[in-house]
Amino acid sequence: MTGEVSAISVVNLRKRFGNHEVLKGVSLEAHEGDVISILGSSGSGKSTFLRCINLLETPDDGVVTVAGETIVMRRTATGKAIAADHRQVDRIRSQLGMVFQSFNLWSHMTILENLIEGPIHVQKRPRAECVEEARALLEKVGIGDKAAAYPSQLSGGQQQRAAIARALAMRPKVMLFDEPTSALDPELVGEVLRVMRGLAEEGRTMLIVTHEMAFARDVSSRVMFLHQGVVDVIGPPEELFGDCRSERFKKFVSGATHARAGQPSL
Amino acid sequence: MSAAFAIDIFFKLLAALPVTLEVWSLSVVIGAFLAMGLTWMRVSGSFVLSTIARAYVFVFRGSPLLIQLFIIYYGLASFAFVRQSFAWPLLRNAFACATLSLALCTAAYSSEIFRGALAGVPPGQIEAARACGMSGFKLFRRIIFPIALRQALPAYSSEVISMTKSSALVSLVTLWDLTSVALKIRNDTFVTYTPLLIAGAMYFALNALVARAFAFVEYRLSGHLRPRAT
Amino acid sequence: MTGLDVFGFGEGGWGLSFLAGAAMTVLVSAAALLFGAVIGALAAWGRLSGNKAAGALSVGFSAIFRGVPELLVVYFVYFGSSALLTAIGNAMGVTGFIGMPAFLAGVLAVGVISGAYQGEVYRGGYLAVARGEIEAAQAIGMSRFLSFRRIIAPQVLRFAIPGLGNLWQMALKDSSLISVTGLAELMRVSQVGAASSHRPFAFYIGGCALYLIVTSITNRLFDAAERHATRGLKQQTSER
Repeated sequence: MTGEVSAISVVNLRKRFGNHEVLKGVSLEAHEGDVISILGSSGSGKSTFLRCINLLETPDDGVVTVAGETIVMRRTATGKAIAADHRQVDRIRSQLGMVFQSFNLWSHMTILENLIEGPIHVQKRPRAECVEEARALLEKVGIGDKAAAYPSQLSGGQQQRAAIARALAMRPKVMLFDEPTSALDPELVGEVLRVMRGLAEEGRTMLIVTHEMAFARDVSSRVMFLHQGVVDVIGPPEELFGDCRSERFKKFVSGATHARAGQPSL
Repeated sequence: MSAAFAIDIFFKLLAALPVTLEVWSLSVVIGAFLAMGLTWMRVSGSFVLSTIARAYVFVFRGSPLLIQLFIIYYGLASFAFVRQSFAWPLLRNAFACATLSLALCTAAYSSEIFRGALAGVPPGQIEAARACGMSGFKLFRRIIFPIALRQALPAYSSEVISMTKSSALVSLVTLWDLTSVALKIRNDTFVTYTPLLIAGAMYFALNALVARAFAFVEYRLSGHLRPRAT
Repeated sequence: MTGLDVFGFGEGGWGLSFLAGAAMTVLVSAAALLFGAVIGALAAWGRLSGNKAAGALSVGFSAIFRGVPELLVVYFVYFGSSALLTAIGNAMGVTGFIGMPAFLAGVLAVGVISGAYQGEVYRGGYLAVARGEIEAAQAIGMSRFLSFRRIIAPQVLRFAIPGLGNLWQMALKDSSLISVTGLAELMRVSQVGAASSHRPFAFYIGGCALYLIVTSITNRLFDAAERHATRGLKQQTSER
């Protein structure tokens, strides 16, 4: 199912906040069609790792390559690492679709306007084409009738689905999900996971930071478990959720499943 | 510009400070009482009283203080019946006119601040007081007023500061306050900036003191919001 | 002339002068507000930029122009700008006194005061924009300029409108102080009329009434603008 074309390559990523080193050399190779769930307890660095890929956080060390293009970094006078070419960063970001935990829809625009904003102003595509595609995407995620509504008028689940559609509207090579269901009421989680499952089955390349164990087990092609800033174990879900060689991961899974009684079914 | 000259200007201005302070403090105090009356009219429940108060606030907040000042100082004096009334000894006096006008103006702004503060008292706390039998004046004095007072302080401090700035206008109705003395020095000596700058610094210092005083009062009254020392 | 004739438009009537004065008041206040918007944006940017020097300058500017009487600022700018122009003129070889037009002096004075307050309004508005929405704009590949233009600025303006409505009222009232420079705005017209006709009460009341009319009309406009701007914000609907 997964091809061998590298979609995202991360080598030896390091990131510290002040004196605290959050990522201590994390590497990942994601191929086209991969659906990789990134698990870990809070503080393990999983969100930071994801945000380093599209440079919402700036890694202190390491190499990030997206669709064959390596992000060029340089050091400032004080030794801090920053992106060398901001236009390159913008361009690469426009090829990555990000879905946030708190949706982050632009509150002063309607849902439709949210979807066409990036395609028109960043990708400079013709408006008619963007609108048509946006409407189709809204239908696809199940909120076709909400195009003219404002984000504040939608439920959490609807907003997140709109946010997914907004990311898809950019025709991204890879989709990044940062705990997409963590801020949702339990009964709304299912509708978002359904959409995400649909995307995975279409063959999209997805990196998902999540706490949803069942989803990770059933939908991913690979699962990566981070612990205190390093990769503890990574492999196909059958391997990890079956007889896993990592004690830590087994403890993590059992702790999580005990805490979450009645997970929404897909 | 010798230092001695500047110091001389400084002391001349200092001599005018009492006039500014008198006009300002009197109008703030009178205005506060007027404002309380206005606020009472607004929340009284009587349509007539409420409308009169609303109209008052609209007029005094919607027009410049300068024109209000001139209406009272120049305008009233032009009426024969005013000149012959019992109030004339008061109204022919520039100081009284200026203070009255400033007080009327601040009353409008202050009453809106008080009204907002009253409305900001959480209804739940009033309910709790009623539930244990409190009502009327006791309810107002023990519960409503203390809470409203704390809500009003930040906005009211801004209003008092606004009043010190407005007091400069009395220079235009013949009072010898800081501003008019500064201009006189300019006229007499052709030195333009120094008197204006020093006068400005004095107003600024006064405002800084007012802000400090209010901050202190706010601090003392908000002990219940700060964590206790364990 | 009888009571209301003096406001009429006929021979010896002051109606036209009053209207011209009112128009001048609106014009100078609007110009001051716009000038203040530029100053305010700079002040807010200085405060938000993180640069210590710019921040200190901005705080100092704001404190000074919100802490001294507006009348003093008007005098200072009026006298000072004429002196500055004269000095510049002399340096360029033009002799004699160059006076600063009262209109410009008034716009500068009222504008710089408005700018000090507007800076606070814009700063508050910026801080109110959800960090996440800015991140979403970055994540989609928008450049700093694009995200500012499409996401940040519209939201800052939206949050700023109530505050700006108040500041417009303030500018209207501060503009009456420009009368000391002789500019023929509404206050000055009332003053001149009062003096020449020896009917101060009528003229000042008339001027006051016109100020109130301008205030009401512009209040309505700002209310409408506020309604339009907050159309997408959280509504207090209770669906269940």
